[in-house]
Amino acid sequence: MRMSRKHDDYPQSVRATLVGKSVERVDSISKVLGKPIYSMDILPENCLYLKIVRSTHAHALLRKVDVSQAQQHPGVVLVITAADIPGINESAALLPDKPLLANEKVRFVGEPIAAIASHDQAVAEEAVNLVKIEYEDLPALFSPIEALKSDAPKIHENGNIAKHLKLRKGDVEEGFRQADYVVDGTYKTQFQEPVPLEPETGFVVPEPDGSVTCVGSMQSPFHVQTGVAKILSLRADQVRVIQAATGGAFGPKSDEMPVDILGMAAIVALKARKPTALAYTREESMIGHTKRHPFIINLKAGVKKSGRLTAWQAELIADTGAYASLGPLVVTRALFHATGPYEIPNVKSDSYCVYTNNTMAGSFRGFGGPQSHFAAESHVEEIAKKIGMDALEFRRINMLRPGSLTATSQVVDEGCGLEECVEKVVEASNWRRKKSEYPKQSGTIRNGIGIAIMYHGNSLGPEGNDYVAAHMNIDKDGTIRFRTALTEYGTGAPSGLLQIAAETMNLPLSYFKLEPPDTDYCNDSGPTVASRTTAVGGRAAQLVAGKLNHRLKEIAAELLGSNVDEIEISNASYFVRGYPGRAVSYLEVVESAYKSGTELKMHDTFTAPKCEYDPETSQGTTYLQYTYGAVTAEVKVDTETGKVQVDRMVAAYDVGKAINPLSVEGQIEGGTIQGLGYALMEEMIHTEGNVLNPNLADYYIPTSKDIPEITTIIVEYPGQLGPYGAKVIGEPPIVLPAAAIVNAIDHAIGVRLTEIPATPDRVLLSYMRKS
Amino acid sequence: MSKHLLKFTVNGKDHALVVESHERLLDVLRNRLGLKGTKEGCSTGDCGICAVIMDGRLVNSCLVLAIQARNKKITTIEAIGTAENPHPLQRQFIKFNAAQCGFCIPGMILASKVLLDNNPSPTDEEIKEAIRGTLCRCTGYQSIVRAVKAAALEMKKR
Repeated sequence: MRMSRKHDDYPQSVRATLVGKSVERVDSISKVLGKPIYSMDILPENCLYLKIVRSTHAHALLRKVDVSQAQQHPGVVLVITAADIPGINESAALLPDKPLLANEKVRFVGEPIAAIASHDQAVAEEAVNLVKIEYEDLPALFSPIEALKSDAPKIHENGNIAKHLKLRKGDVEEGFRQADYVVDGTYKTQFQEPVPLEPETGFVVPEPDGSVTCVGSMQSPFHVQTGVAKILSLRADQVRVIQAATGGAFGPKSDEMPVDILGMAAIVALKARKPTALAYTREESMIGHTKRHPFIINLKAGVKKSGRLTAWQAELIADTGAYASLGPLVVTRALFHATGPYEIPNVKSDSYCVYTNNTMAGSFRGFGGPQSHFAAESHVEEIAKKIGMDALEFRRINMLRPGSLTATSQVVDEGCGLEECVEKVVEASNWRRKKSEYPKQSGTIRNGIGIAIMYHGNSLGPEGNDYVAAHMNIDKDGTIRFRTALTEYGTGAPSGLLQIAAETMNLPLSYFKLEPPDTDYCNDSGPTVASRTTAVGGRAAQLVAGKLNHRLKEIAAELLGSNVDEIEISNASYFVRGYPGRAVSYLEVVESAYKSGTELKMHDTFTAPKCEYDPETSQGTTYLQYTYGAVTAEVKVDTETGKVQVDRMVAAYDVGKAINPLSVEGQIEGGTIQGLGYALMEEMIHTEGNVLNPNLADYYIPTSKDIPEITTIIVEYPGQLGPYGAKVIGEPPIVLPAAAIVNAIDHAIGVRLTEIPATPDRVLLSYMRKS
Repeated sequence: MSKHLLKFTVNGKDHALVVESHERLLDVLRNRLGLKGTKEGCSTGDCGICAVIMDGRLVNSCLVLAIQARNKKITTIEAIGTAENPHPLQRQFIKFNAAQCGFCIPGMILASKVLLDNNPSPTDEEIKEAIRGTLCRCTGYQSIVRAVKAAALEMKKR
């Protein structure tokens, strides 16, 4: 089966003067000055503060929740439990499985049961200990393998499997028959904590008409609006949601936590008629919000002596914790990418999203891609070893190229820069020399170099309807205000939307102003996830800027006694083609519009084509275009301590078109270091459901002392979805470092680590076992 | 809990406040003096985001009791530059896209300032050492190192 996408229009532009240039972001100035822009900087006067009472049991029935003592504690204004929820007791990202406040049952240590409000945070915190809870313990499950057993206790009524998805391409048994070798492997990944440096925060102001205004740290304002309205039993328009500056997000701030925060604060705000704030501590943030799913991935590959892959079988088991969150979609993306970026005729894969009584896993940059690629890119090295072939050569034989069929039988019919990415990192890393020289080393410190390559489906694809609204209007002084409900949380992508609008209208970027997302002033733009701001939001910016540009040209044509088709613009001045003297300035056009009452206001919604595939076999169009990439890592391994130091990384990504190369480099560098943390040091450790390291002293993220030298290479093979051929780059850089680093460790000391992070004890133990 | 008179200088201005013994410098700066530029990232001294300069040294204001600032000179991000006249560090942080989500940036800029006050021509390694106590989750630190280096150059040219 060969499938091909059909697009009506290809948005690639022939002319681009501003797009493609590195420009400063519009949000930088307030950030470097330390302006009060985050939720906790702009709290209303006389605010109530909330503190949460959390479950201390992993799986238990709630026999009794007695809040009377807490209620009487001096200074406590209000205590709420599930019984105080005016609407539906639900705060769930996808499946209706998670209550806002636990009612009959708790499913993880840390689950919210009650909230206490006081004007004094310390008083509220003190009163937390006065809530008396009687639990009746239930058998708890802490491993997805246990949870999959047929006789396992049920964490949810519908059982412990939140999602099972299948991918079937060709005939995998036939593929194994054709193979000269069959190679098995099992790979394991850990809970990775996103650590946005601003924990979850927000506040709610009760309005005189019974509606509420919610301000908070978040990715997706309309998702919050829907969630809070449901909890309060209000109409959506009675819940106004404004995104404050958001100090990092990386995924969890698109899941349940902003709804939890603002939902609880809103219940109290309405009852007490007072503005109410809730700010998670670092510990609450680390326990409460969603993390990267730990995966167990079983792979079986069939290969010819020639190096051709004939079959690939994958079983992916993800621990989603107590509630599904976006786990079902994470295992979907993981499944679609489980072969790595290779063309394989026969594929059979199954992915399972499994409930346990651990803390929740959900959205985190990469969304299943890092786990799949860690396994696939480790496994191809083992396959190459088995047939005695250089692993780079093996990759070249099997990797996706224009015309290839992906695992979902999608034709690579767009610009595919995978091969160029590979050649570029090989060259820039001095691969050949290092590959041959490092194994000759002796001594206790050994160097190694490793590579990994990837593809990453762009657009929401199976994850939802892919639309973005943009609004633009021009003030009397010529300022062009741009608004969308897509949010800025560090990426710089919304600034890129201004760049695209300015390019479309051929006006200076300085005329444009980015307005904060506010549900009262813009239409639903879907969630700010899946790195979709530039690729999909950019199309909305083009669409609306194009309309506004046309309106300005119409006015100019009227002023110049000409036809709109003959109007051109240069240096903020409209003129009749061929007659540069017959011109009128941008400001004159704006002034004329205001005089005549012509509205300089446009909005529209861009909707990406739908992805269609067979839900039984996962064959079809799963994404609208792909980002490709290759990364090399050079490591130094101390064979006496097991410590791994990464000295140098080269990262090349085919981004289609870099709208703002400075921002693209920022995403690549930042994602690479988050990926380095994933490879070497980051792991949320659960013991019987208790998180042992919910703080930044015991959970390590990379510091400035851990970073290697990074060379970033931008490759541009235009895609079919994004403006000017742009592809997504927010998530991809976190996908490869783990595999590249683990492959480099193997090169250095001849040890294949099948489990990350590659901590010193794990590296040393594997090395000692080998020797 | 007892009350104390805290006399100290913040950003060149003298203040006299009655503080309680358990109050943190961070809270006094943010809530009593309204200086919201100092952010709170972990409350346990691990992230370095709440850093301010106390008598020329970088301190985590979440770990300093307000009364420990008695007779000291405190500098916060608010005194570093303005929109019209940003400090070279601020200008270069913008230029090199060293501020992404921005939450660590006040602490990061103050850590860099302490470095440049003592060492006008730092090497990359010295910059990394100076900011090692300030966590950033967005940038991967490379752009920050570039920005601090460029700021050092700019300040020397003046």
